Amino acid sequence: MSDHIISLIENASLASLSPSDLTAIRRHTDDCVDCRRAFEAAQISMLLLRERAAEIFEPSPFFHTKVLAMLRERQTAAGQWAWSRVWRAAGALASSMVLTVAALAALTFIPGSQAISGPQELTSLNSYSAEEVLLDQGEALNGQVSEAQILTTLYGAEDEAAK
Amino acid sequence: MDLARLAREGDESAFEEIMRRYSRRVFHYASKFFRQRSLVEEAAQEVFLKAFTELGSFEGRGSMEGWLTRITTNTCLNMLRSSRRRPELTVSDLTDDETTWLDNNLAAAATERHQSTERSSAAADLAGRVLQTLTPDDRLVLTLIDGEDASVDEVVKMTGWSKSKVKVRAFRARRRMRESVEKLLQRKDKG
Repeated sequence: MSDHIISLIENASLASLSPSDLTAIRRHTDDCVDCRRAFEAAQISMLLLRERAAEIFEPSPFFHTKVLAMLRERQTAAGQWAWSRVWRAAGALASSMVLTVAALAALTFIPGSQAISGPQELTSLNSYSAEEVLLDQGEALNGQVSEAQILTTLYGAEDEAAK
Repeated sequence: MDLARLAREGDESAFEEIMRRYSRRVFHYASKFFRQRSLVEEAAQEVFLKAFTELGSFEGRGSMEGWLTRITTNTCLNMLRSSRRRPELTVSDLTDDETTWLDNNLAAAATERHQSTERSSAAADLAGRVLQTLTPDDRLVLTLIDGEDASVDEVVKMTGWSKSKVKVRAFRARRRMRESVEKLLQRKDKG
């Protein structure tokens, strides 16, 4: 019978028990201390839940304004975030374009990167020309060989051939 | 539906009107989950912020109230689950007012004279603390069914859970709450 009482008070809210169920419980709890305790605890539980249910909070007069402000704040933040993403993407594109243009300019205008077309250009590009090397060597010989001698040695044969 | 459509299209005043119509209901419902006003308000704010971003999913087939109630349930349960604190209530936790309330109502229960006296803040405090020992889902079902006489079908609508889940939760929560109160009474008698 004890089980029966427990199941009665656990299967449904006490408020929904029929008069016959309550009579059965009363009859049983007169003799059964455990079930009486359980029934009392169930009654207290129900009273506590009713008290709890009666406690309700109302929105403050500023609630709507507050939520709208939060919404605007979130939308602004979301907008800023979207713009920052666009700017970041655009920035990456712009920097890659600048790099490409710079690379193309380097290939076009910087002499070192030009294609070498002939021996004359090679000579002019070379900072150590034959004349310089020989003249430097002449200086190293402490004036034993004059600049004129060097130049004659270099270009004399050409001049004679031209004549 | 018109308000929802207007709000979805960015009409702020339409959304404000939705809040005006349903904020009391959302507060009322969130009050079942939390005892501190600040938490109820935090939950209600989150509900409306979510509602605004999810307006596109409201197709107008059900009521706006039902849709908001569902969002409130999920929001509050998520808040409670993330806090996950279910301390066991002991007699030493009881205040003098709570002990007096228990004594008076125990006497009334023994003589089957259920007190329907004026609201007792001690009882509401005690109820809140006993309910805190239950899981958020159990707490919700018990508050709705036993505290507010809601039917199982109503709870199904509010939560979106199956009928059997609601019934099982209610049964389990009722047992846990009763056992918790019974332990408290026994310890009080011994103490």
